[in-house]
Amino acid sequence: MMNRFNHLPTLKVDTAQKIAFIYKGKKYYGVKGDTVATALYANGIRIFARSLKYHRPRGLYSLDGECSNTCMEVDGIPNVRCENTLLKDGMVIKEQNVKGSAENDWMSFLDKLDWMMPAGFYYNVMHKPAKIWPIAMKQIRKAAGLGKISPDFEMPGKFDEIFLNTDVCVIGGGPAGMMAALGAAQKGLRVILMESRPWLGGFFEYRSSQYKEGETLHNRAGQLAKEVESFENIRVFTHTAAVGTYNNNLVTGFQIGKKDDVFNERYIEIRAKSVVVAAGCIERPLIFDNNERPGVMQINCALRMAKTYGLLPGKKAVFSIGHDLGLEAALELHDLGLAISCIADIREDGQDPVLLKKIQDKNILFLKGWVATKAHGRKLVKKVSLASVDGQVSKTFDCDLVVASAGMTPVTGHITVAQGTLKYDNHTGFFLPDQMPDKMHAAGRLLGLNDPLSIEASGMLAGLKAAFDCENCSIGEIGEAKKALENLPGPVRGTKLVTAPVKGRKSFICFDEDATIKNIKQAIEKGFDVPELIKRFTATGLGPGQGGIPGHNLPLYVAKYQALPDISIRPTNVRPPLVPTLISTYAGVNHKMFKITPMDEMQRKDGGIFRNIGVWQRARYFSNDLSCKKEIENVRSNVGMLDGSTLGKFRIYGPDALKALQRVFVSDMSRVKQGRIKYSAMCNDDGCMIDDGVVIKQGENDYYFTTSSGRAGQTAEWIRYHTRYDGWNFALVNLTDALGVINISGPNARKVLEKVVDIDISNEAFGYSEYKEFKISDTIPLRAMRLGFVGELSYELHVPSSYMKAVWLMLKEAGKEFNIQNFGVEAQNVLRMEKCHIILGQESEQRTNLLDVGLGFLWDRKKADAKTIGAVALHQAEKDQTRLKLVGFKMENNSRAPRDGALIVDDKVRGYIATARDSFSLNEAVGMALVEAPLSKIGTRLTIFEDECGDDRIYGKVVEMPFYDPEGKRMKM
Amino acid sequence: MALTITCPICGKRNGYEFKFGGEEKGPRPDEKDLTPEAWCDYVHMNKCVAGVQQEWWFHKDGCGSWFPIYRDTTTNLEKPEPGGQK
Repeated sequence: MMNRFNHLPTLKVDTAQKIAFIYKGKKYYGVKGDTVATALYANGIRIFARSLKYHRPRGLYSLDGECSNTCMEVDGIPNVRCENTLLKDGMVIKEQNVKGSAENDWMSFLDKLDWMMPAGFYYNVMHKPAKIWPIAMKQIRKAAGLGKISPDFEMPGKFDEIFLNTDVCVIGGGPAGMMAALGAAQKGLRVILMESRPWLGGFFEYRSSQYKEGETLHNRAGQLAKEVESFENIRVFTHTAAVGTYNNNLVTGFQIGKKDDVFNERYIEIRAKSVVVAAGCIERPLIFDNNERPGVMQINCALRMAKTYGLLPGKKAVFSIGHDLGLEAALELHDLGLAISCIADIREDGQDPVLLKKIQDKNILFLKGWVATKAHGRKLVKKVSLASVDGQVSKTFDCDLVVASAGMTPVTGHITVAQGTLKYDNHTGFFLPDQMPDKMHAAGRLLGLNDPLSIEASGMLAGLKAAFDCENCSIGEIGEAKKALENLPGPVRGTKLVTAPVKGRKSFICFDEDATIKNIKQAIEKGFDVPELIKRFTATGLGPGQGGIPGHNLPLYVAKYQALPDISIRPTNVRPPLVPTLISTYAGVNHKMFKITPMDEMQRKDGGIFRNIGVWQRARYFSNDLSCKKEIENVRSNVGMLDGSTLGKFRIYGPDALKALQRVFVSDMSRVKQGRIKYSAMCNDDGCMIDDGVVIKQGENDYYFTTSSGRAGQTAEWIRYHTRYDGWNFALVNLTDALGVINISGPNARKVLEKVVDIDISNEAFGYSEYKEFKISDTIPLRAMRLGFVGELSYELHVPSSYMKAVWLMLKEAGKEFNIQNFGVEAQNVLRMEKCHIILGQESEQRTNLLDVGLGFLWDRKKADAKTIGAVALHQAEKDQTRLKLVGFKMENNSRAPRDGALIVDDKVRGYIATARDSFSLNEAVGMALVEAPLSKIGTRLTIFEDECGDDRIYGKVVEMPFYDPEGKRMKM
Repeated sequence: MALTITCPICGKRNGYEFKFGGEEKGPRPDEKDLTPEAWCDYVHMNKCVAGVQQEWWFHKDGCGSWFPIYRDTTTNLEKPEPGGQK
């Protein structure tokens, strides 16, 4: 294990606290505060992964997870960005996309075969003859790729989501972001501050340069952070990357949980009145040969390795940089013990003279107008070649570390995904915000600022602008803040160099997709002239780094290669998520959402087998015999009980209640008589049947009605929608959950119920299709209906949910002498099918209208004034001979019912089976089917095609409906 | 969803709480003398305006009322009534 600095004030690790982890089966130690990447680096691991296409070795590069270089499998989860993942005790870490190991990958010979794989080669080659492609595709997929995931992989961990409201949301917890937060918070506004690293401080946090006399940038960062934390109206989210910004000032992000948090990751959605983007800069990668060889890293990576994690990134280094930060880093690392052979600066002039003086004092070789051209070394960097920017002179140095960076590049994704526009700026070499989205303000380094005071002043200005959006700041104050910024140093000049003077066969513009400069040239020569198209064709920036590496280099390089004037350079589009996110974080908590009826527990005790049916969990079977023979026979010959609580139940009342019912039900609802039950249906505007149920008149303009279980959720919405213009006065109450339903059915049903109720329920006193309201023992209010859904004498009891258990138990007790039994939803399905009573969704689909299922008799044609929904369409459908009809059929071969959904065919499809079962009551296989009109005549032979039946067909015959008790005597007993 | 909607009863709320109910097309036409074409147009044809249109929304996770709003379909933002005093 490498030695760590343990005296630096900027350290974020506690070197005294060791953390054990497993890498490739062996135990290693990191320290508290380490990321997975730094812990591995501390243990001498330099090659973290193999690249997607060429299996080139890859190592630490940015330390912020901007590329897939350090994607590894951690605790079974593939593609974890090790640079952003904090080390935890006992973590198991593996390499991915390797044949052998990352160190020795025998697929690395592919690197020499790059000439066989020009840009877009998979679009061009291996397609002829066509047969080759499936084989080639398999091989390509095997060789290429990152982590692997098995189809039955279940994501471990807890995921959560929160939805927040705030006045101002600040993206970026660096100096500009913190100042913006403070500026808005001082105006009394509520502020949310998001920072993707685990701590505040940003660009100041890890630097020891002077902020002002006697104060380092690091100290200043701490001071600002303390001030931010002292405000109760600033809510800070660290380790929280903002991944999306949308109009209306909606910001989304994901937060990585700390040790004591109840979530591993949490999705955050923030509604703000105003947004400040202070996302800062990343480095623009320097493009030269082997620019991604392990040992080559960016300035911030090298500097933060030492300052934040206490690790010296190498022994002997060469710097090839284009920004003062590179000089600062070289000096700091030199003081920490890094030998520096040479600093090559792309810039001929413009360096900070103070830094230059220090370099001179330390006798470090400094070359102006020079740049790295090639990193040597098969796996790790051993040497590096430098050349003058024009390529005329060159030198080679031995080293194990190349700190390379072309300059800075602003993080503009938050602005552009919110539809803001950027404009290329010749001075900074940046894409600077041109038109900002409404109520979004940019601040800090992404504006090209580099001076610490300017960065802070621009943050304050943005914070006040945001406060102005919230009407908490005056124009005058903004003017003052603006003036303060103008008096400070403005944006610094940036380097224009995009690539070193190389041919570019091994100069990578995108690490994730192994795209080189040569690939870009190939694409341009093929005729792709726009960066957006070149991006697609070469896959540059389409990898897991979300374009972090090629980002602005691609459009700049394309412009340079095509020799375009600066003005037309446009960055490529970026899209959310701006930072790779786990899908499970978006998914949030995996709630198992369903409703249970009041009888749930008791039915489970009775052996009910439950299934999710719509939003409900219902008892479908009461034995392992899924044909439900016993349950069915018990209802036909004795008495059974069913929990029907899922039925939709509504009360509608008020002066215009009847008008509303006339609008939605097809029947004439004015003919509903008190004490009688009216069965009717609802259609949509196409005449298609959407619901059926019964309606009861409880009083003048006071009705109670039921809907099918699946429709209950939409009924109120439906009725209110279709009466929205009328201004009618009625109230609609959803009683679905307030009332339970017990269905007691079978020839002995009356004998059981008689024992429980106090009123006369003889056939004369309470006949078929009648309705009664009464109380059991003067206490339990009951609505009782005599219905015949299953085709036997049956009572449907609507009971307040709180009394359901009591009534259920009373009936069970009373039914003991008759051996009353439960029956489930499947038994009910067969029983009603034998009676040809339809269930919507089973005997109908979206296009099935009222007439198709034979319920045209429900429709009252004489109420045009009611503007009944569906009536106009039904008038038209009446004349249509091409529609499907619902028919009953018997199978020629008994006990061979076709599967539901099987097709009815001749030389083409003529219809389909709705429901079919082997009927124990009839000893026949029967069912209902929707068939074309010509096939609906009684006696027609139906040819049935089942899935995977090959050339075999089964046959049925259209018969009269219903099959069971055609006269309906049994339900009227 | 970036959209927020102002419910006349509950105020400005997250768009997730609402269900879309189609463009504003006026009340149901009288059935007398209604041609099938006119009926079909009323039920199925939409203007699909690229810009501000009036449309119906249902506060499904709230008060349960239907109400019309104006929305800019190009930005997915609620707008005040064009030319109105809102």
